[in-house]
This record gives sequence, C-alpha cells and structure tokens, in this order.
Amino acid sequence: MLCTPLFKREIKANYKLWIIFAAVLTMYGLMIISMFDPKLGESLQQMAQSMPQVFAAFGMLDAGSTLIEFTANYLYGFLMVVMPLVMTIILANRLVAHYVDTGSMAYLLAAPVTRRKIIFTQIITLCLAELALTLYMTLLCTAAAEGMFKGELDIKAFLLLNVGCFGLQIFLAGVCFICSCIFNDAKYSVGVSSGLCIAFVLVQMVSQVGDKFDFLKYATPLTLFDTDGIIANEAAAYVKMAILFLCGIALMLVGMGAFEKRDIPV
Amino acid sequence: MSDIITAANLTKDYGGGKGVFDVSFGVKKGEAMGFLGPNGAGKTTTLRQLMGFTRPDGGTAEIFGLDCFANAAKIQKNLGYLPGEIAFMDDMTGMEFIKFIAAMKSIKDMTRANELISYFELDASGRIKKMSKGMKQKIGIVCAFMQSADLLLLDEPTSGLDPLMQKKFIDLILREKQRGATILMSSHLFEEIERTCDRTVIIRAGRIAAIETLDDLRKRQKKSIEIEFANEAGAKSFASAFKTSADGCNVNVLTDDINALIKALGGYDVKNLMPRTQTLEELFMHFYGGEK
Repeated sequence: MLCTPLFKREIKANYKLWIIFAAVLTMYGLMIISMFDPKLGESLQQMAQSMPQVFAAFGMLDAGSTLIEFTANYLYGFLMVVMPLVMTIILANRLVAHYVDTGSMAYLLAAPVTRRKIIFTQIITLCLAELALTLYMTLLCTAAAEGMFKGELDIKAFLLLNVGCFGLQIFLAGVCFICSCIFNDAKYSVGVSSGLCIAFVLVQMVSQVGDKFDFLKYATPLTLFDTDGIIANEAAAYVKMAILFLCGIALMLVGMGAFEKRDIPV
Repeated sequence: MSDIITAANLTKDYGGGKGVFDVSFGVKKGEAMGFLGPNGAGKTTTLRQLMGFTRPDGGTAEIFGLDCFANAAKIQKNLGYLPGEIAFMDDMTGMEFIKFIAAMKSIKDMTRANELISYFELDASGRIKKMSKGMKQKIGIVCAFMQSADLLLLDEPTSGLDPLMQKKFIDLILREKQRGATILMSSHLFEEIERTCDRTVIIRAGRIAAIETLDDLRKRQKKSIEIEFANEAGAKSFASAFKTSADGCNVNVLTDDINALIKALGGYDVKNLMPRTQTLEELFMHFYGGEK
C-alpha cells in the first residue's frame, strides 16, 4: 500500500522542515521545564495576577503547583499546539496541493501507481512527522524533567498528555490535508487550512479569557484536547481524545476519496 | 489489427467554447499517430483524458481496452508520457529526478536511461530549478523513453529543443517505431508530424477536422514560395501571369508544380527565392477552404 520511492523522496525533501520545528520546540521545552521552581512559580503567579487576561488567553493563568500542571499549562496550552500546527500547515500543503499547483503531480499520476496509493503514502508521511515530533518532545521533556527535578514529574500523566497532544495534531493535520487534496492552487490550500486553524486557536484564546466568552470553547475543536481532564484522569478527557483521532483520520480519508475522484488539472 | 488507443465521442467542456467535443479516433498497434492542431485546439485536454488525469464529460477513452480513468495505474505500466508543461520537483537534481521516476515505474535497469542521457548530451547533475527550458525538456524525454514502453504519449515533445536536438529527437522516434512502439504525438508543427508519423489527427477549436495519412496530406499540399524580384514592374507582371498579387517586389506563390514555376521565372530578374513552410492555419485553408 505504501509507495516506497515516493515515501523516501518525501522524507528527504521534508526532514529539514521537521528539524527546524523540533529545534524550536526543544528550546521552548527546555526553557519552560527549567523555569519550574516553586519560588519562581510564585513570582509567575504574581505576574499572572497582574495581567490575568493575557495569561488566560494563552492558557497560562493557573501555573499549577506540580510539574505536570506547570508543563501542561505553559507548554501544552499553547506552544505544543501552535508550533506543530505551523509545521502541519506547511507539510500538508507540500504533500499534495503543491504538486498539483506546480504541475509535477503529472509525473506521480503518470507512474503505474494508483491515486489511492499516492495519497495513502502522503498521509503516512504526514502522520509520521506528527508522531516523531510528539515522541521526540515526550522523551526530551521527560529526560529534562528527570534531570532537573528528579521524581517530580508524573510520567504516566505526562505520557497521556502527549497522546492527547498527538490526537490534536492528527485532527489538525486532517483539516490541512483535506484542504490540500481538494484545492488545485496552493494559495487556496494554505489559505483555507491556515485560516481555519488560526480561527480555532483564536476562538480558544478568547474563550479562556473570562466567563463571558466561556461558551466559545464549544466552537473550537481545540477544546477536545483537555489537558486538565487528562491530568485529572477523567474518562471524558479520553473520549475527547478518541474523537480527535477518529475525526482526524476520517478527514484524511475523505480527502483521499475526493482526490481519487476529481479531475487533476496537470 | 486492434486499436491500442480508442477515443469515442470524447467530450470535455470547460465552458466558453473551450475543451474538446465529440473527439473520436483510434491508434493501431505499432502506428505513429500525429495530433496536430494550433495552440489551444484541445491537444493537451485530450491527452490528459487519455492519461486518466481528468474524467470525460461524455464519450469514452480506452487504452489497451481499459478505461483511461478507472484503470490509469494499470495502463501506465506500459506507457511512457511526456507532459506538455514541464514541471518537476524543483528541489531535486536532474539525475535524482530521473532515478526517482525510474523507481516510481519500477525500472531497475538504467542502461536505457543512461543511453538517452548521453544521446541528448544532457548534463543532469545540476539542480532542476537552475536548468534551461531545453535541459528540462530533455529530462522529460529521458523519463518518457527510458522504460521502452509499448505506448508513448508525447505532448509537444520538441518544444524548447534546438534544431540539432529536434533532429535527434525525430531520429529517436523513428527508431522507437522500428522497435514496434505505438506513438501518439501532439504538435503544432506540420513538419515534425510529417517526418515521424504515419497518420495524423487534425484538431481545431476542440473538434476533429480530419484524420488523414501523411501520404495523402503530402499529395494535396501545395508548396508556398516567396519570390523577391529586382523591381516592382517585374513582380507585377509575374503576379498577373501567375494569377496572384504582388506586394511591392515580393510575390507569394502557391503551387504544386515547381518545374513550371522555375521555367516561368526564367525571363525575370529574381533577387531571392524562398520556400516557406506553411503554417498550420494555411494548411487548413488549403485543405478545407478555411471553413470552420
């Protein structure tokens, strides 16, 4: 089912992109974990209270007293959502719409490989990039936490937090990938997918600011990545996590179906 | 002999008169078929449907007896394709791209590819992004021919090539024909089709104008010759004798009897004599009196 030459080509063409995002996240991850310090926590708390709205928008109002809460709020509340998302938008567009837009899709379609196999290969590439990034960050942060604050991190909860984060990335990848499969122009593929994703993020930020806009959390799929719920080991949080995975995969498969049936103007 | 390609009432309407309408033709095994038409006549649109990139609005397209859209992957096992618009993966070098396409087509033996590279004097080591149109075209040609496929679909194959390379390309086509390959090749240049093909489809404004053998076309084609006289008087007198009109010192003559023309010119002071290649539109005018 996997088209090996295409898969190899995509790895070679995109590993640099992955490394850039992994490097940026490494910096943020190490910085945030090293900032965990009960005393520094207090001063952060004070800072948060001085401008609660701003901190709330980024999901950082409650610093949390444990390392896992601290990481969940400061790293997984915003950075681990947005940074992988930017990579996803770029990568999803490159994998399909870019080839159609430039016309080089003609060479992929002219090979004795079905469209389904081509798109399946691209889906695997995209999901692997997300998985690799999540795995890397999980290992890095666990190692950093153990190194700096031995025994402080609830590793089981942290693993689950990362599974949830991976689910969210798969969902957002699904949104970007379906756009990549549907549009002939890269500008529409990037425009619509990034537009949707930015809207998701902004709506979540607004919903966190105060009770007045709390209802907006129902308007963004980002709510389904329920960090507090995962740490508190709530069953509902796992259901939300499963919804993210299933919807993400469904979106990719619908994109594949659309690409199989439609006219490709190359 | 059975037809390798069959298009029956193939229609793809892009609106505003663009597209192809009721296109029907067949290409026999081992035949080289031209696909001749001016720019925008529907050549690429037809080839895209044969490649299974787009689905026809009406009619059917079959290759090896299989539906072109539904069985595209199966058909392409034995098909070499050269797209009309050159677009590769720009981040690769030429050689990387050729190897990538070979891998996509499960070609293990690169002997033929290397032969073609040296035949076209192609230096494929550089980045595709930096290559000239001609070099990119050569890479496309290598990719289409390296498989030694049973069927070749070539969309304007010589565009971007210099005359020497065009000549080499025509020789390559002739050898592929000897090998037994079936060829469908689009072009807007009559000479190119004339030198390579047995028959040609002539398409205009999305509709087939004619399907003719090249022998028949040649017989009916008139030679177009432009004569420059030393003075206007000579041009005028010659023009009236030949029932055409003079433009200053120049007279344009259409004839199929060159001997008669040379004899008639004997008494005049001629400065220059230039055989002109007929444009495709002129060809239409001569064959079909210009009717649409």
